[in-house]
Amino acid sequence: MHMAYADFPYLSSILFSCVGGLLIILFIPEDKKDIIKWVSAVCSGITLLISVYLFFAYDKTQGGLQFVEKVQWIPSLGITYFNGADGFGLPMLLLTGIVFFTGVLTMWELQIRVKEFFALIFLLVTGVFGLFMSMDLFFIFIWYDVSLFPMYLLIAVWGSTRKEYAAMKLTLYLLAGSALILPAIIYLVVKSGFNTFDLVALMHPGTFSPFEQKFAFLLLYIGFGILAGVWPFHTWSPVGHVAAPTAVSMIHAGVLMKIGAFGVLRVAIFLCPEGWQYWAHLMALLAVVGIVYGVFVGLSQTDLKFVIGYSSVSHMGIVGLGLATVTVEGLNGAVFQMFAHGVMTALFFSSVGYIYDRTHTKTIAELGGLSRIMPVATGYFIVAALTGIGVPCLASFWAELTVFISSFKVYPVYGTLAVCALVVSALFILRVVQQTCYGPKNERFAHLEDVSFKLGIPRMILVSIIVFFGLFPNVMMDMIQTASIPFVNGLP
Amino acid sequence: MMSWIIFSPEFYFLMAGTAFLGLSMARRVRPEQVYFIALILASVGVGVCLACVRLTGDLFLGTYRVDLFSQVFKVMLSMGLFLVVCLCTELDGIEERLHPEFYFLLNICTLSMMMLVSSVHLLTIFVALELSSYSLYTLVFLRKGRDRGIDAGIKYFLIGASASAMMLFGFALLYGSIQTAYLVEILKILPGVIHQPVTIIALILLLSGFFFKLAVFPFHFWAPDVYESAANQVTTYIATASKVAAIAILMRIVALGGGGSTYLVHVLVTLSIVSMTIGNLAAVVQKDLKRLLAYSSIAHAGYVLIGILSMNPDGYAGAIFYALSLLMMKFTCFLVVVKVADDGRNLDIEHLAGLHRRSPILAMALMLSLFGLAGIPPTIGFTGKLLIFTAAMQKGYFTLVLIAMINVVISLYYYLLVVKAAYLLIPGKELPDLKISPSIKVLAGLLILGMVGGGIFPNYIIELSKAAAIVLL
Repeated sequence: MHMAYADFPYLSSILFSCVGGLLIILFIPEDKKDIIKWVSAVCSGITLLISVYLFFAYDKTQGGLQFVEKVQWIPSLGITYFNGADGFGLPMLLLTGIVFFTGVLTMWELQIRVKEFFALIFLLVTGVFGLFMSMDLFFIFIWYDVSLFPMYLLIAVWGSTRKEYAAMKLTLYLLAGSALILPAIIYLVVKSGFNTFDLVALMHPGTFSPFEQKFAFLLLYIGFGILAGVWPFHTWSPVGHVAAPTAVSMIHAGVLMKIGAFGVLRVAIFLCPEGWQYWAHLMALLAVVGIVYGVFVGLSQTDLKFVIGYSSVSHMGIVGLGLATVTVEGLNGAVFQMFAHGVMTALFFSSVGYIYDRTHTKTIAELGGLSRIMPVATGYFIVAALTGIGVPCLASFWAELTVFISSFKVYPVYGTLAVCALVVSALFILRVVQQTCYGPKNERFAHLEDVSFKLGIPRMILVSIIVFFGLFPNVMMDMIQTASIPFVNGLP
Repeated sequence: MMSWIIFSPEFYFLMAGTAFLGLSMARRVRPEQVYFIALILASVGVGVCLACVRLTGDLFLGTYRVDLFSQVFKVMLSMGLFLVVCLCTELDGIEERLHPEFYFLLNICTLSMMMLVSSVHLLTIFVALELSSYSLYTLVFLRKGRDRGIDAGIKYFLIGASASAMMLFGFALLYGSIQTAYLVEILKILPGVIHQPVTIIALILLLSGFFFKLAVFPFHFWAPDVYESAANQVTTYIATASKVAAIAILMRIVALGGGGSTYLVHVLVTLSIVSMTIGNLAAVVQKDLKRLLAYSSIAHAGYVLIGILSMNPDGYAGAIFYALSLLMMKFTCFLVVVKVADDGRNLDIEHLAGLHRRSPILAMALMLSLFGLAGIPPTIGFTGKLLIFTAAMQKGYFTLVLIAMINVVISLYYYLLVVKAAYLLIPGKELPDLKISPSIKVLAGLLILGMVGGGIFPNYIIELSKAAAIVLL
């Protein structure tokens, strides 16, 4: 793999601004809430700027791993601090920057335990950024866990709706995932005989026997798959999304679930390509079951956030289906879908969060006619809903289209099922939109204010990104292809 | 003359013990004065041990060896003593007139454990082990409110005595079959005769004594009761320093086998799995924080055994590293117990309610230490587990690692319950902020730094553990 070392540690500076923000917040007195929020906004803004810069500064003609930073960490165990960005990692870094920044802005109205909230968010996002840029298995595992354990407190303290149950379930499920990942990682490192956790070194073809690859792939796929919401390990996800506070739902559904899918790609598929081909059919099956299941369970939900939660299961199924095709188009679509779904869910939760903060209900039946009361807020909601359905000119459309085309070629039956499910999902999302936004005005909520311009900024950013990548999907596709084409062509 | 310098840590703690013996006979010494003396003596003790860390040599006709392995453990033991003494500002669990005796026993116990980690002859091992056990029995008895301490003390004593008896029987069998009591000689002969049933039985019986110390199944019954009934500071000492010593001597003995016996490995694997599973499952239902920590100690004994039974340098290095990380993490938990239960009472988990308001730094230290015990990165506990699991994987014990990881998930459940109590529960009535002296805040801060720093920059400690482990073989 081509590697270009960084002339400036851009990737580390993303981490530094997260950790720096965390430390600054820890030393600000509890009652200076505005200062804490401004520090958070500035630090998260810096991460967004750097990730945007990296996205466009990446040399697509060269491809490979760029902005590489490599420092020996624990030489006796072969652990290096090894960061790099490629066509798979950069869209994810960009996504994290976007969701983090808009998430912080969305929580501008928070008043309870502000300092702890933002400190934990920074810790969580440090882990997420770290995972997307790290090329060392040890650090990938560390970042995975760093991004998980703040979730417990974030949901249990600031959440709603059975929050303690949801927090405990989520944490235990995800750590059960890590209980499979760690043995698999150690197994691969020991079997390689290289005494190194360096992903690029371990990727060398012929390092692992076919049996080792099949075995480790299954463990890694299930381990990371739990976080990616793969059916039947998804049950933590709708419960967790519903209980979490708005920004956490945004980061969680928008970015954290992508960690799972990205882990499958970066660790399982990169290290065990033969295992990938061997288990691809199982992956496709689980993915399609997830798509169909998510849609049909979503149909019967009465809680707005549950609807989004199950649609996430369904959309993450599309990512899984793309990964299971073992083709360039499938990988392109899967990564694009991770990005598009991340931005879309962030917008979804952000607008639902606004509605919930005002009306204090998420029950669809109690809402209604909101478009007459808060037209702008419902506008954001509707854009998110349309993106979820896959309306053309919005980002998800291209992602889903690519995945479906490739899956038709490889698994015609599953592809057909998935497309049918998508039609049903249009039905259920439109039903939700119709019941909450249209119909007679609910007098109880008549006095409520619409989204102010200031509070609307994060949502506007999200909408513009969805539209931008809907109109210019090639910006993203060209990026992903720099990684997917060499990888798939290099398969044995 | 030169050779006696290597004995200076032991000599120092003998002197310190004697000083407290003298103090216990003096009248009119205020508890604060005793505490102050103890603190100074213990901190100098750490210095003495650190100064002697690179010394090597043999003493007492080759029955006593000073090497990097023993010296590293002596540093840990003296640190353990120092940390426990730091907690003794409110020594309310023990009557005031008995304070000098308490420090006397504490110092003597540390001395005997230091002798234990240096012993390379079956008899010195036995003498040192019994000396430390008897000090601990008495320490457990010292708890104010007689019934409780005595009840647990008797249980501790009886199980300990029977474990010692089994160990002695093991010594006899071993001596009978290979005609020597020097570990160096045994190391040469044993791998050749390891497949004889009598040797294996001898080794397993012999190990029982140390299993008792470490609270490994089936010698774990004393742990919950003793942890619960002993004074908080004594429990801290049992949970930290005495575990460290037990890990050290267990490594010395298992290393004798040279990794030759599959039977021995099978026995150890079984004990390890049963220990961690029993410990973790029982901990889930505990209400008393000290009992919970006792069961978690049993589980951790199981994890440590994984490193030891791997019988390769990496495994031993991992176990040494794990001993250090356990010392720090367990101590941090008990720091919180002692400070929240400031009148020396026992602490229920729900009494932690509102801790994050009453003392943010203690709450944070508690959370990090619990996450560390659960093995979540980037804490020192994760690095320890990684080392141990890597060593086991090198030997091909994949299933064992997987079972251990499943246990980690189980353990996380009850650790999270404690975190929840500290961060989420709202106390029934408004409780005042905890009065915590600046020095304890600094201590808590240092522990936090140590636990996180040891997780992020473990390189130096790993190198040291590896160097110490190589001495063992």
